[in-house]
Amino acid sequence: MPLQYPSLAQRLFRRRSTRITSEGVQFLLFTLAIGIAAINTGNNLFYLLLAMMLSLILISGIVAEHSLRRLEFHRHLPDHLIVNEPATATLVVKNRKSQFPSFSLKLFDVSDGRELDRGLEIRQLLPGASRLLSYPIVATRRGRLRLDGIRTGTEFPFGLFMKRTFYPIEETVIVCPELKPIDEGLLQGLLTAGPEHIVNRRGHGNDLYNLRLYQAGDDSRKIHWPTTARTSQLTVRETEAEDQRRAIVYLPTVAPVSHDALFEQAVSITASIVQLLAQRGYGLQLIVGSSRSSFGQGDLHFLGLLRMLALCERRSPPAESPVSGEPPGDPLEAQEGKMIVVQSWLGPNDIEPRHPTILIDGAVIAGASHAV
Amino acid sequence: MPFDQALRFASIWLAAISFIGLTLGAGLPEWLAVLTGAALIVAFVRNGGSKLAERFATVPSISPGGWNFLVIAGFLGFWVDLLWISGELLPAGIHFLMVLMIIKLFNLKLRRDYLHLYAISLVAILTSGSLTTDLWYLPIFLLYLLAAVWTLLLFQLTKHPEEIGMLTPPAPLWAPLHPSSGHVTPQFFWLANGLALATFGLTLAIFFAIPRVSAGFYQKGFGENIRTSGFSETVNLGEIGPVKRDPSVVMRVELSDGAPREAGGLYLRGVAFDQYDGKTWINRLNHRRAVSEDGMGRFVLRGDRSHQPSPPGETIRQNILLEPLDTPVLFAAPFIEAVSGKFPGVQSDQSGSVYLPFPSASRIEYSVRSRSNPVLPADLSPEPDRYPESFTRHFLQSPAQSKRIAALAEDITQTQRTAYEKANAIQSFLIHNFRYSLDAPLAELDHPLEEFLFTRKTGYCEHYATAMVMMLRAVDIPARLVTGFHATEWNEYGNYYVVRQQDAHAWVEVHLPHSGWITMDPTPPSIDSVTSGSPAWIALGRMMDTVRLQWSRFFVQYSAADQLAVVRELKAGSTSARNKAFDSIGALFSPLLAMFGGMTEYASKGTLQFAMELLGILLIGLTILWLGIKRPWSTGMVSKKTNRDEQAITQLYGRMVKHLAGEGIAKPPSTGPLEFVRIAQAKWNEANSAVASITELYCRARFGQTPPTSDELTIAEDQLRRLMVLNKP
Repeated sequence: MPLQYPSLAQRLFRRRSTRITSEGVQFLLFTLAIGIAAINTGNNLFYLLLAMMLSLILISGIVAEHSLRRLEFHRHLPDHLIVNEPATATLVVKNRKSQFPSFSLKLFDVSDGRELDRGLEIRQLLPGASRLLSYPIVATRRGRLRLDGIRTGTEFPFGLFMKRTFYPIEETVIVCPELKPIDEGLLQGLLTAGPEHIVNRRGHGNDLYNLRLYQAGDDSRKIHWPTTARTSQLTVRETEAEDQRRAIVYLPTVAPVSHDALFEQAVSITASIVQLLAQRGYGLQLIVGSSRSSFGQGDLHFLGLLRMLALCERRSPPAESPVSGEPPGDPLEAQEGKMIVVQSWLGPNDIEPRHPTILIDGAVIAGASHAV
Repeated sequence: MPFDQALRFASIWLAAISFIGLTLGAGLPEWLAVLTGAALIVAFVRNGGSKLAERFATVPSISPGGWNFLVIAGFLGFWVDLLWISGELLPAGIHFLMVLMIIKLFNLKLRRDYLHLYAISLVAILTSGSLTTDLWYLPIFLLYLLAAVWTLLLFQLTKHPEEIGMLTPPAPLWAPLHPSSGHVTPQFFWLANGLALATFGLTLAIFFAIPRVSAGFYQKGFGENIRTSGFSETVNLGEIGPVKRDPSVVMRVELSDGAPREAGGLYLRGVAFDQYDGKTWINRLNHRRAVSEDGMGRFVLRGDRSHQPSPPGETIRQNILLEPLDTPVLFAAPFIEAVSGKFPGVQSDQSGSVYLPFPSASRIEYSVRSRSNPVLPADLSPEPDRYPESFTRHFLQSPAQSKRIAALAEDITQTQRTAYEKANAIQSFLIHNFRYSLDAPLAELDHPLEEFLFTRKTGYCEHYATAMVMMLRAVDIPARLVTGFHATEWNEYGNYYVVRQQDAHAWVEVHLPHSGWITMDPTPPSIDSVTSGSPAWIALGRMMDTVRLQWSRFFVQYSAADQLAVVRELKAGSTSARNKAFDSIGALFSPLLAMFGGMTEYASKGTLQFAMELLGILLIGLTILWLGIKRPWSTGMVSKKTNRDEQAITQLYGRMVKHLAGEGIAKPPSTGPLEFVRIAQAKWNEANSAVASITELYCRARFGQTPPTSDELTIAEDQLRRLMVLNKP
């Protein structure tokens, strides 16, 4: 099968659109009026004025086309976004034309076919020059945010038309659930309920865990001088982590369609609980539906959990066996820490709940609202 | 200049041009023209940024309500003007338009106000176009186009806020004009003018390509017709005299061979008169009949309806562009055989005069084929003339009191045998014994002809022609007086006769039995008619007239027929189309080409000064253009600035190296700057930051052709200062 190349016209004019500005509408009305006057009277000087106005329209199109042609865009987005939390995106625009500058460029992000006005404008971009623009980006729902490209428009030169073209730059960024402050009642419940499991391991604390030889990069304040003096070898002191708490957070994903908003609320609360516990040094495991993370700590682990929550999806309950609130998995593992369950649906009898239900080690935490 | 200030200037400029156009076209009342002009000047000064402008700015402005009140007052004034002062819609509307312009000029605050001003100026230039077809409209239009491009560009560029990346919506129409940080740079200047040039080129292309469709619901002429004298059915003796000082162009006549007549110029016949009552000429043969059209837009009066051999006489083909006159007479060389033109109809009377059904309100173009009557040999031999009474009643009529004239005529012609010889004798007598003068107030006298012939012996064409007709009739030779124009001014740049009001003329037609009517002119050459002025000015005037003609032909008179002709030529696809195109282009640029030709001619004739002046102007123009494009001063300024900054950082680097040498870190000549940084760091680590940054700036300026900015230079100086106070361990 022979290769089919798009024609020159297709290549030139695809993804082009033109919108008339309010000034352009007035200009066209005047042009129409002069045209009627010229035809009516046969006065050639009216025809001359009409020709001038038509040529201004044509020049508008030609110059705008040149302004929009041969631009290059590079966008840099953060690794992840959080719902309703502004982040900064940057956009590099380069004019690849060798002769003609581009003027009055207005740039729009295009996501899922929708144009998002970030208020980006470039008044002049000289041939071969590039410009770095930064702008705030705010996602409104979790999941994958897909950015299709950049739509750029210009009203140059005469402001009569807004000519626009589309430059595809496909990018996807994970949007994590919204993190909200935790309600005081829930906070107390989280911090007090359940056994505290201590694991002996290195960490920040006061009790001696181990003595070892000094290694490059060790904090000089941790040198154990008595041992160093005794052995004539630089020896540092390692301390035992004072307490190590662990928790399992479980988010059932089974909920009917009517509970969709509640499910989203449950995801947001789960993320907020995970954030709170991570900040307090908990070893965390997250179970979302049938997915399960490992226990872990630190920023990377926390981000991993947020990504799990960002991408989880509600599942409708099967008609024959509605899902109970019981978490799956090894009960022994659950005994290693707190078991926090955030449920958006309790079963067929749960008709119109206003808030997700939160259970800590099987006990329901009282409170009308868990997130402020 | 900031964009917002430039926009104000461009907007006022746009308004000023449309005002000038309207003033030239409509003849505004003096008070309104002065008021609008003053408003424009004040608006210019207010935006000039000078002390005077500041003083104007401190004047308390009128509130929006006050402006609205003024607009309402202006609108009421429009109705008063319409109903009681002007009495017509167009003048009253124009006056109201100017009042609105004045109000807007003082109230340019919001973007909406600017749009209103542009709309007013557009209506003004449109009105101006409806009131004139003169050449001055072309420069006004060009200036308007330039101003429009500048204004629209600046209006667009000031539309958006400068701050990039801010979530600011586009400025709405009711938003005030914020000062913007953009400036009119040389690049912007050339961009705007380049766009204007491109727009003009495209305008021309579109203008010639737009199909000319005239529905004709409202068609109107342009302004008032030129008032003429001598072409009505009754003409008083001395009526032509006053217009003999008027240089207004009434027509332009091209001849088919493109060359002027060999001698005596070209007579353009208008009306013939048969009856004279001693003071007034009357055309009693004024019954007009419609001339039939031959189906090809040609009205044939006489001649080749059938394919008979051509009668004797010279055929003269003319193409005439007639200005709007207050007479329906169609002028042409005697005697008209056929007329072609876009006329609804053509009429002729028994004296051979040709008329339109009514005077044309606009300029008309028509072609005429004429044939002069030569004197046949049969009329050179004596033979008794027999004319019917109906003929002699008209052409041998004399007023009662002309016995003395008859005696003079008998006396002059007593030795002549034939009518032709007698006519020649009388013509010769008048030419050689009388003096031409426009200062001949004979009209008030009881017997002006006798006064002219026997007392003053000075007069102008009417007196000579009347005297000759009366003298011819006194010796029984039929004759009549003819009024028209005598074209003598040949425009060598456009190859046509320019006919002015002052060329209005009266002459004689003598009837010979075999030859018919022949033209004779007893008026001696006028001493006054020798045009004063330098040849250069005359040449320039003729060139301008040619441009005027081309403007009229290619723009004002351009029609669907012209478009069809071009299409036909292109369709034919022959070389003739190419030749025609070259001819058209040649015609457009003929004045310029002729000017260069003329320069050479003048130089060869010794008027080198004029040629040198023109050459000088041309060279200055080219130099300005070159300077504008190349902008050597800006290059010089940049390189000068570059050199200055480069020198500064080089000096700093030199001082640093000297100081380091003083501290024991000498720079060997074979060591490069970057290598020296490493050496210095190894020997004096604390100095590394200053040494590295100064060296970097030095290398960038020296080898990267990127001079440091003033901020970077200041930082470098500080670093060097700190380095100098630093103690080396």
